[in-house]
Amino acid sequence: MKSRAVREGLILIALAFLPAIGEGIYFRDKVSWQSPIPTSELVTVDQARSWGNSAIWVDARPDGEFSRNHVPGAFSLNEDHWNELLAQFLPNLSPDKIVVVYCSAESCNAAREVAKRLRDEAQLKDVFVLQGGWEEWVRKNR
Amino acid sequence: MKAFWRIVDLIVGGIFVYAGVIKALDPVRFGLDIDNYKTLPWFVSVRFAFYLPWLEIFCGLALIFRCLYRGGLSILTASIALFIGATVAARLRGLDITCGCFGHASEHWSFPQHMAVDLSIFIALVALWFANSRQRAAVPQ
Repeated sequence: MKSRAVREGLILIALAFLPAIGEGIYFRDKVSWQSPIPTSELVTVDQARSWGNSAIWVDARPDGEFSRNHVPGAFSLNEDHWNELLAQFLPNLSPDKIVVVYCSAESCNAAREVAKRLRDEAQLKDVFVLQGGWEEWVRKNR
Repeated sequence: MKAFWRIVDLIVGGIFVYAGVIKALDPVRFGLDIDNYKTLPWFVSVRFAFYLPWLEIFCGLALIFRCLYRGGLSILTASIALFIGATVAARLRGLDITCGCFGHASEHWSFPQHMAVDLSIFIALVALWFANSRQRAAVPQ
């Protein structure tokens, strides 16, 4: 019984490779294979600061964390209250602005999700994710 | 009783096919969900994101059609046990994870909700193992 289960399992494992490879080929140009966020969409704290007033900061963390502290001048824009916060945020944009989105740390997902939605839904082009997020900002500003 | 276990097969198999299809439709998002666990480097997570949904679909179909049944059951039982372990470990490490198991539907599930669903599926799979073994033992060789 065990050997049969193993044999059948191996067949299923092998079968699943076929559509997976096909899908991988189909998506080959749409996926960043080396980093979850393409390096072209990341920005370091130093780079973002060097943009000065051209940079507009977006805090993708939950409301509570934003209230406690945030990058000076940052706008709160998280997925919990997306429509409401987006409506407040958009009037502050101008074509020369570069959007820098951050969340709590390197491991959080919120910044890349918000950046993606800003590109897809608000049709913004210059949207970057802050490398290391809020933690890195705090570390650099100690 | 046989009919009852057949229904369990169909429900559990259907759940895995559904979950697999949702993830196969958006492998990049699933890759990000795997990456959230911070246990694998991205280049592995993204490759798994293309592969695992199809494995889930094939194993789910194996349960539904009772073809390669024990192989499918073994893989699904092992993978859900692994997944429960990874979820608990991530939780202990303080990671705020989205499992992405059922796409957007499960996006806002709390940790206890995730655990309840995963443990129910795990128990159903283990029960199917025992039911299958008993049915086979009952059949004269």
